[in-house]
Amino acid sequence: MQVVLSQGAIKALPTFVTVRRSEARAFQGIRKVGATILAGVFAFSAGCHRTATVEAGRRVDFNQDVQPILAARCFACHGPDPEMRKAGLRLDLAEYAEKKRQGHPDAIVPGHPERSELIKRIESHDSHYLMPQNPQGEAKPMSDGEIAILREWIKQGAVYRPHWAFEAPARPAVPEVKSHGEWARNAIDKFLLAKMEKAGLQPSPEADKAALIRRVTLDLTGLLPTPEEVRSFEKDSSPNAYEHLVDNLLARPTFGEQRARYWLDYARYADTYGLHYDNSRDIWPYRDYVIRAFNSNKPFDQFATEQIAGDLLPAKDLDPLIASGYVRLGESSNEGGTIAEELKFNIARDRTEAYGATFMGLTVGCAVCHDHKFDPTTQKDFYSLSAFFNNIDEKPFNGDRPVWSPVIRIPRAQNRDAYDRVYAKRAELRGQIRSMRLRERDLVQGWIASHKNAPQGVSTDKLLVRLRLDEGKGDVLHNSAPHASPATFKATMVAPQWGETTWLWPDFRMQSNTRVVLDKSGDFEGNQAFSAGGWFMFRSAPYFAVDEQAGAMISKMDMKQHGRGWDLAVRNGVITVELVNSAPKDVKDKKHRDTKEAFHYPSPQNLTKKELSAYKPPEKKEPKKKKEKKKEEKKPEKKESPDTTPLVAIRVSTVAPLPTDGEWRHILFTYDGSGRAAGVKVYIDGKVAATEVETDTLHGESIRTSAPMQLGWRAPGTNPAKEFRYQDVRLYGRSLAQDEASRLPFEDYVAEIAAKPTSQWSEDQWHVASEYYLNNVDPAFRAAYTQMHALDAQLDQLSSGGDVTQVAWEKPTLAYASVLERGNYAARTERVEANTPHYLPALPAGMPRNRLALAKWTVSPENPLTARVTVNRMWYELFGVGIVETTEDFGIMGQRPSNPELLDWLAVEFRESGWNVKHMYKLMVMSAAYRQTAKSTPEQLKKDPRNLLLSHGPRFRMDAEMLRDIALQSSGLLVNRIGGPSVKPYQPANVWEQVSYPTSDTLIYVQDHGQALYRRSMYTYWKRMASPPNMDAFDAPVRDAVCTRRQRTDTPLQALVTMNDVQWIEAARALAERVIHEAGPKPQDRIDRMSEILLSRDPSPKTLAVLENSLGQMQKHYASDKKAAHALVHEGESKPAGSTPEPELASWTMIANEMLNLDETLNK
Amino acid sequence: MKQHPLCTDCEPEVDVTNLPIPTGLKQEWSAVETRRQFLGRSGKVLGWAALASLFGDAALRGGAIGADAKTPVTSPGKGNLGLPHFAPKAKRAIYLFMSGGPPQIDLLDYKPNLAAQYNKDIPDSVRGNQQLTGMTAGQSRFPIAPSHWAFKQYGQTGTWVSDLLPYTAKMVDDLTIVKSTNTDAINHEPAIMFMNTGNMNPGKPCLGSWLAYGLGSMNDNLPTFIVLQTKTNPKENNQPVSSRLWSSGFLSSEYAGVGLRSGGDPVLYLADPDGIDREVRRRMLDAVEEINRQTQADVGDPETNARIAQYEMAFRMQASVPELTDLSKEPQSTWDLYGPDAKQPGSFAYNCLLARRMAERGVRFTQIYKRGWDVHGDVVGVLPTLCAETDRACYALVTDLKRRGLLDDTLVVWAGEFGRTVYSQGGLSKENYGRDHHPRCFTTWMVGGGVRPGLTYGETDDYSYNVVKDPVHARNFNATILACLGIDHNRLTFDYQGLDQRLTGPQPSTVIKGLLA
Repeated sequence: MQVVLSQGAIKALPTFVTVRRSEARAFQGIRKVGATILAGVFAFSAGCHRTATVEAGRRVDFNQDVQPILAARCFACHGPDPEMRKAGLRLDLAEYAEKKRQGHPDAIVPGHPERSELIKRIESHDSHYLMPQNPQGEAKPMSDGEIAILREWIKQGAVYRPHWAFEAPARPAVPEVKSHGEWARNAIDKFLLAKMEKAGLQPSPEADKAALIRRVTLDLTGLLPTPEEVRSFEKDSSPNAYEHLVDNLLARPTFGEQRARYWLDYARYADTYGLHYDNSRDIWPYRDYVIRAFNSNKPFDQFATEQIAGDLLPAKDLDPLIASGYVRLGESSNEGGTIAEELKFNIARDRTEAYGATFMGLTVGCAVCHDHKFDPTTQKDFYSLSAFFNNIDEKPFNGDRPVWSPVIRIPRAQNRDAYDRVYAKRAELRGQIRSMRLRERDLVQGWIASHKNAPQGVSTDKLLVRLRLDEGKGDVLHNSAPHASPATFKATMVAPQWGETTWLWPDFRMQSNTRVVLDKSGDFEGNQAFSAGGWFMFRSAPYFAVDEQAGAMISKMDMKQHGRGWDLAVRNGVITVELVNSAPKDVKDKKHRDTKEAFHYPSPQNLTKKELSAYKPPEKKEPKKKKEKKKEEKKPEKKESPDTTPLVAIRVSTVAPLPTDGEWRHILFTYDGSGRAAGVKVYIDGKVAATEVETDTLHGESIRTSAPMQLGWRAPGTNPAKEFRYQDVRLYGRSLAQDEASRLPFEDYVAEIAAKPTSQWSEDQWHVASEYYLNNVDPAFRAAYTQMHALDAQLDQLSSGGDVTQVAWEKPTLAYASVLERGNYAARTERVEANTPHYLPALPAGMPRNRLALAKWTVSPENPLTARVTVNRMWYELFGVGIVETTEDFGIMGQRPSNPELLDWLAVEFRESGWNVKHMYKLMVMSAAYRQTAKSTPEQLKKDPRNLLLSHGPRFRMDAEMLRDIALQSSGLLVNRIGGPSVKPYQPANVWEQVSYPTSDTLIYVQDHGQALYRRSMYTYWKRMASPPNMDAFDAPVRDAVCTRRQRTDTPLQALVTMNDVQWIEAARALAERVIHEAGPKPQDRIDRMSEILLSRDPSPKTLAVLENSLGQMQKHYASDKKAAHALVHEGESKPAGSTPEPELASWTMIANEMLNLDETLNK
Repeated sequence: MKQHPLCTDCEPEVDVTNLPIPTGLKQEWSAVETRRQFLGRSGKVLGWAALASLFGDAALRGGAIGADAKTPVTSPGKGNLGLPHFAPKAKRAIYLFMSGGPPQIDLLDYKPNLAAQYNKDIPDSVRGNQQLTGMTAGQSRFPIAPSHWAFKQYGQTGTWVSDLLPYTAKMVDDLTIVKSTNTDAINHEPAIMFMNTGNMNPGKPCLGSWLAYGLGSMNDNLPTFIVLQTKTNPKENNQPVSSRLWSSGFLSSEYAGVGLRSGGDPVLYLADPDGIDREVRRRMLDAVEEINRQTQADVGDPETNARIAQYEMAFRMQASVPELTDLSKEPQSTWDLYGPDAKQPGSFAYNCLLARRMAERGVRFTQIYKRGWDVHGDVVGVLPTLCAETDRACYALVTDLKRRGLLDDTLVVWAGEFGRTVYSQGGLSKENYGRDHHPRCFTTWMVGGGVRPGLTYGETDDYSYNVVKDPVHARNFNATILACLGIDHNRLTFDYQGLDQRLTGPQPSTVIKGLLA
C-alpha cells in the first residue's frame, strides 16, 4: 500500500483511508532524518524507511543527514547537557565525540565504522547493549536507513560541521536548470526547479488571472480585490500588468495592516496583562507603529532595532520609543502572593524567550533550567541573554492598571509639532550625554590622574558599625568598621537574599523574617551624640513601597521598657527618628499623608489621577468586595485601659513623604547629644531634609536599654519592615557634620575606590565612580541634565491629554542577571553580564552591553539567524509552510530547510537589499512558483503531499482575521480606518465573565456600537484570558507567548462561527443587499455578482444551478414564514436599507450565507 | 469498489444501511436522506469522508457508539501510539477541579491534636524553610488555627470526615482519599497550571487534551473533551480560571477542551440565528456541500473533504448538544438525588448532572471548575457555603454513576491546586481564621474505574504541614490518573521542541500503584 496524504487529510479522513498515524509519523521521522538521501527522493512508501540505503558515491552531509539523527536519537543522553550525559560520551561536537574515554571503547573511529563502538551499538541485537535507549532504559532501535547514514558518515571520515543555522549565510549560485527554464521568472524559481527536477516533479502552469489577483491581493492586503479591480487586471494585457498590480498593492495602507497582523503574533501583542486580574493595559499605539513601519517600508534592521532598543536610540520623534513597547508586550502579574523577584524573573524570561523565538528562531527557553539538551545554548547563555532584558526601569508588579510605567504620553495632533521640536532638542542633549557616557571611563581616568576635585572620604573616627553587606552569599555579615567588635554578625531565621539587583554592589535583601541582630551596638545614652544610616530600598511590593507596616530600618528599642531606645524608621511615608525614654503604647503616628507616586522620564510626571487609577469593572453586578478588611475590623478587640505611661521622647519626622518609586535612597540621621529635638538632623541622599518636631520631651533622660540593635525590626515581636534592601549601613558614635553627611552616600566610597589603581577596579566600581564623576564633578554633564529636566517639563505639558503607551526604558545601572539553579528565582548562582550566546558571533565592540548592542548584533551582517528567520516567515505567510517548517526553531531539533540554498539566497538578498521588506514580498509574489495554479494532480500529491517543493500554487484556509475581514468587506460593512484604541465588536454573552477575576476591569464585555462593530479584526480587543471566540475557533493564538506559525485546523466549531455568528449573518444580509442593489433583478446576475465579489470570478454553471435551486427553496420557505424572514434580516445592529421585501432579502441572505461558507471562499 | 483519487489502494464500498450504528443515528441519517429526496435532489450518498467523520471509527469497526458507548474505541490515526497501553479500568474521566485550594484541615485531613494548640506558634522544625507567599511572609507569628468543625467517623472504613461534608461522609467507603498530594507551586497561576498541565508555565497541553490526543473520541456527535465552569458565588474569593487550562498547547487545537456554557448557547455559536430553522440550515448545507464537492473535484485539495465533514458534524452538534443539556426528561429521582441546585444552570450540581449525562453519551473527559476555595480569611464564614454547593453534588454524581453502572469504568477525581496552611493568615480567634496557600500537602480523592475503594492513602504530620508517609506528587497523581485510563505516562508522548513531551514532564514520575484497584 502506498501512502500519500497530507496531515490534514489524515485528520479528516479517519476511517476509510488505510493510513495509520504510525506511518504518518514515520513519514515525519523520515523528513527529520534527511529524506533527501533516501532511496527515491520524496517517494514514500510504507516500509521504505526501513530499507533505505545511501546512494553510491553520494557524499553524506553532516547537517542535512547526520546531525538530525544524532540529535533525535542520541543527544538526550550524549548531547550538550552535562547533567543528563551518560558514560561521559558527548556526540554533538567532534572534539568530544572522538575523545578517548577511560574504560570505554572509541565511539567514533573516523573512516572505520566497523571499529566504531557507536555503529556496533546501534547494529546490535543484544537488547542490553543495543543503542539508543530511552531514559527508562528501553531499547529504541534505529531504522536501517538511519544506521546506513551513520555508517556511511563514519566511513567518509565522520566530518562534523557547525549547525547549518549558526553559520552566516553566503549567497549561493543560482542553479542551472535542465528543463522548464522558460517557466522560471526569477532566482526563486530556479532554486525550486532544481529540487523539483530531482524529485521528478514538474511545475504547474500559471493560475488564471482571476485566481492570481485574488491570491495576491489577499496575501498583500488581507482583503479581496473588488470585481472592478479583477476586471481591469483581466483586461490589462500588457506584460507588466501583474507587476503593476503588485506595486499597487504594496503601496496600499492595507498592506501595512496585513503585515502587522502577522507581526502581532510574532510579538505577542494583546490588550490585557494575561495573568490574575488580567486587567487592561495601554499599549495599542505599538500596534499602530507596526502598521506605519510596514507601510513606510521601514528597513527591517531599523524596525527590529527600534523594537528591541528604541529607547536607547537617538530619535527625533516618538516612534522608536513607541516601538520599544515590544519588549514589554509579554504577560505580567500583580498577584498579591507572588514574590517580587519571582515576577521579575518571569518577566525577563518571557522577554528572552520572545526575543529568541522571533529574532533568533531558537527555543532558548529550554536553557532556563539546564543547558539545552540539543542546541549548544547553555544555561549561562540563556541568563546572559536575559540580562539584556533585566534592566528595565519598571516595578515587577504591574499594579493592575493600564499605566505600568515606564510609559509615554503621545501628544495630541495639535501639539505634535511643538512636541517634536522640544523632543528633538532633548534628543540632541541626550546625544551629548550619551557621548560623554561612552567616554566616561576616559573622563574618570583623567579626573583621577588630575588629582583635582579628588574624592574625599569621611573620617572613620568613632565609626562603630559598618555593614557593607557586599558578601554576596551566606548569612555571615562583616562589620568593616575599624577595630570592629564583634567582627561579624549573623543573619538568622530566614536566610537573606543576595544579588537580586545591583547598587554599589550586588545587593542584600532581608526576607520578611530575616533577622539581623547587632547585639550591643548602638548602646547610647540620651546625652550622647551618634549618627546612623545607610542605603535603603524599601519594599518593592505591589502597592506602595512605603506603607504603614513598613517599620524600622535600624532600631534599638525595648518594648518591655515602654519603648526605651532609639530608631530610624519609615512610617506612613515619612522618615522618623525616635529617641525614647518612655512612651505609652498608643502614641499616635503622624497622620497618613498621600505618598506621591513618582515616575522617571519618559513617564510623564503630571499623569492625572484618572490615568493612574486601575480601571474598574464597567458595571457592578456584585457588592464590592472588602471582605477581608471588614472581617479584620469585625474582630472583637478588647478595649484596653489607656496606657498612662508618660511620653518622654524626641520624635522628629520629615515633612515631605518619600516618593514611592522603588529607588535606592541614602538615609541618615545625626544626633548631637543635646537631649533636644533640635539636635536631630535627617539627611536624604546627602541633603538635609525638612523635618518637624512631633515630640520634644526627652530633656536628656536616659535612652539606654539592653535590647539589641537590629535591622528591619523595631523590636523583637513587632512587625518587620517588609523585604527591605540594604547597603553600606553605618553607625557612628558621633554626630556627623553636614559636609560629612553629604559625602557619605557616594563620595566616601568613591574615595575608597580611587585609592586603588583603576586597573584593579571591578565593573561595579567603575560604574559607581563614573556615576559619581558625571553627577558631581563634571559641570558639563550636570548642566546638560539641568537643561534636560526643563525640557522634560515642557514635554509633559505638551503631551497632556494624549494617549499613553507602555515602553521600555533602560536603567542607568549595569545589565546583569544571575544564573538560577533549575530556573528557581531564589537559587542564584553565578552572576553574568549581558551577552549573546557563546556559539554565535560576538557583540559589537565599543558599545555598552545593553539592548542597543543586542539590537545592533541582531541585524549585523555576521548574524546567521535574523535574516534567515525573517525571510522564512515571509515565505510561510505567502506559501503556507516555511522553507524551514519550524519557523520558531532553527536549532538542531528544528526541521531542516526544504531548500537550504534558496533560504540562504533569500536571506542574503534581504540583507543586501538594505533589509527591504517590500522588495522581498515583491520578489516572492513575482516568482512563477507563487503564480502557479493551486490545482494539484494525484502525481503531485503522491510525490510531495505537503507541497514543500511547490510544484503547484499555495492554497490554504485563511486566518481568523482575514476571514472575518472579507466577510465584512464583501458586505460593504467594513470600516477601513487605520489604528486607534482596540474595539469590542459582537461577542456572545458571558465569555469574559466566566473566566475573569470578579474585580478585573475586563470582567464584563461591554460591546461597542456603530462603526466599531465593523473594523478590521486586528483592532478587536484582545483579552488574553478569553481571546475573541470567533477568532479563537480559527486557531488565532492566545498571545500569551510568541506564535510564529498558527495551527491550521478544521473543526465543526469553525463552521458554527461562519454559519451563525451574528457578525457573519449580518454580513450575509448586507452582501445580499449589495448584490440586489448592484446587479439588478435577475437572480443569475445577482449570483454572478456575489461570486465576483467573493471568488473574483463567475460561478460555474453547476454552482449557479445549485444556488438557483437553493434560492428557489429559500424563497418558498420565507414567503410562507414572513416572521422568520423579518427576524433574519434584522440580525445585527445595522438595519436593511433598501426596499427589498423581507422574504426576498432573507432568501438572498441565505444564498450569501452559503457563498460565505464555501470552501473556496474560506481559502485563499 | 471505489477508489479514492489519492489512494492507490482499493477499499470496499461501504453500505451505509448496514453499518453497525445505533438506531437513533440511523434514523437521523434516513431523515436526512428523505429530506434530500423530498427536496427533489438526487439521493446522493454523503461523501465517504463526511461519513467517516459522522460515524467515526467505531461504526466501521463494529464497536458500539453513541448513548451506550462502553467500549473504548481506538481513535483513528492513533495506531502507533499503541493505546491503550494496557487494559484500561476507566474509559472516561470526570475531574472536579476545586480551584483556589480547599483547606484539607477543615475537610478530610483530621488533626485531633490541634485543638490543644490553639494560637500557639507552629514549631519552626515543622515549618522548616518553606517558602511563604507574599501574603503571610510579613507575619511575625504563625499561630495554629485548629479546624472550627467537628469530625466524625463514617462507613466501614471508619474514615474521619468533617461535619461540613455530610454527603461525602456517606460515600467514604467508595472513595480513594489521598492525604499526601503535594505540588511545587505556591501561587494560584503556576499551581493550577501545574495540576492541569504538569508544568507551571503556560503552553503545555492539559490532561484532557492528552486524553483526547491519546484515546480519541468514543462518540460521534459530541466533543471528546468538555469543560464546564461553575457560576461564581460573589461571597467567595474567585481566582480566575482561563482557557489556557484546557488548551491543547502544542498539540493540535482539535484536542482542546470545548467549553459548555450555562448561559446562552451551550457551545458558542451553536444556535442558528433567528429566522433560520433546521430545515433552512439543512438546505443551506446541502447547497454548500454540493458546491464544495465540485471544488474538491476541480482543485484536488484533500482539505476540502475535511471541511465537508466538519460542516456535517457541526449540523449534528446543533442537535446533539441541546439534547445533552435538555434536562426536562430527567426523572424525579434525579432531582431528589442532586437537590434543587441542579435546576440552576451553571450551579455545581447542574454541572455534575451534565457530567453524568456526558458520561452516558461517551464524552471522554469532562472537567468541572468550581472556583472560590481561596480562603485567605473568614474560613468560618465562607467554607460552609462552599461545601453546601459541592458536597451533595459530588455525592449525587458518584451515586448516579454507580446506580447506572457507569462508575465501574468512569474515574471521578476531586482535587484543587494546593492545600492550605494550618496557621492562620491574619487574625486568629476562636470564631474565625484565614488560611494561606500550602503546597506541601493537600487532600484529594478519586473514585471509580481503576482506583481502590475505601482507601485512605498517605499521611501528614500532626500539623497537616508535611507529608510523613506515601507522598503523592502532582506529577505522580497525573501519572496515576493516566494509568487508570490504560495509559503509560512515559509512553504517551508528543515530539515537540526536540523533546518527547509528556503530561508528567521530563522529570521522572511514577504511578502510585497503591492507589490502584
